[in-house]
Amino acid sequence: MKKETIVAIFLGLLFGGILALVISFKNKEIQLTKSKIIAPPKEKNVPLNLSGTELQFFELTEPADRTISENNLIHLKGTAAKDSLILVQSPIKDLAVHNLQEKFDLEFPLALGENSIKIVVYPKEKQFRPQEKSIKVYFIDSEL
Amino acid sequence: MKKIIQNTLLLGYLVSMLVGNTMAQTPTVTASSSPTVTVDKDILKLKEKVANKVSEIRRKNNKAVSGFVVSNDGNTMKVNSDGVENLVKFDDALTKYFKILGTQKKEIKADDIEKNDYIIVSGIIVDNVITANVVLIDENFLVNSGKITEVDKENYNIKVLTSDKNTYNLNIETYTKQFMVNIKTLGIEGVGFSKIKEGDTVHFVVKKIGNPPAGGNNNYSATKILIIPQEYFIK
Repeated sequence: MKKETIVAIFLGLLFGGILALVISFKNKEIQLTKSKIIAPPKEKNVPLNLSGTELQFFELTEPADRTISENNLIHLKGTAAKDSLILVQSPIKDLAVHNLQEKFDLEFPLALGENSIKIVVYPKEKQFRPQEKSIKVYFIDSEL
Repeated sequence: MKKIIQNTLLLGYLVSMLVGNTMAQTPTVTASSSPTVTVDKDILKLKEKVANKVSEIRRKNNKAVSGFVVSNDGNTMKVNSDGVENLVKFDDALTKYFKILGTQKKEIKADDIEKNDYIIVSGIIVDNVITANVVLIDENFLVNSGKITEVDKENYNIKVLTSDKNTYNLNIETYTKQFMVNIKTLGIEGVGFSKIKEGDTVHFVVKKIGNPPAGGNNNYSATKILIIPQEYFIK
């Protein structure tokens, strides 16, 4: 057998083998794209992140209900949802405040004697219901 | 030269020790020279501390209860505070009685307090028994809020459904202060009855007379209303 023939056979076998491998891989890919996926992909099992829509609970840390004050001014302190509308009402004063930060500190005047104060927080997200608290603060001046 | 430096350092050290000791001894010298003055000062300080502590404890124990008078015999009084009956004891030497008239207070006597008066009692409370320091006759206000479900333009009346599912009939009188929240600035502005609509949110203040209310069925004349227009919640 001639030397050229041996080289040609060898190259032919090599080329044929490469072609066979390429065809078999291509065929697998085509089959995968056409076949139906029974199990959902892993990414779809990840739970939805709802933290963006969670509501900051309205908390009034100061003053406590039935507090006795010797001053005609108190500070209403606590936390409420950011960007909510805080509405405070008493017989002598109305106050509407846009809560820029979660913590709030509002100065509020007191009348002599009993002060019924209602605080309502209206969240920015309208799907949430308003949160409210009612307290009584007694302004009894130090002379008494 | 070396010796000079050594001696200077040694001298400096000795001087500093001497000055330090003298300064440290100064108070002892004063104390021993005038012991009576120091003792008097200490006693005064102690007295002040005790007085402050006593007033702090008194302030801590002092609590307040408010409610409608059920009965008053001049020595004791029964008060209904949100359904709980409290017994108020008067002390001839201690208890003071006042009536609040706007921003002023007028001193009164125990006998001036009548049945159905709304009172605030401040004193020491033990098991629903209050030893009164101060008794104040005041006005009882209800502060609440809810949604307007009906507007009667002819009779100047609104129906309000509160979050606790109670319905209030509020009469808007000539003296009723009417306000509205400006939805752009959040400022509070005066408003007329014609601007009030069904679906608006209202915060209201009413004066309660007697317990249960004299009007019955949650009918009140409003002292003050504050409207949040429904547009605020739509924007």
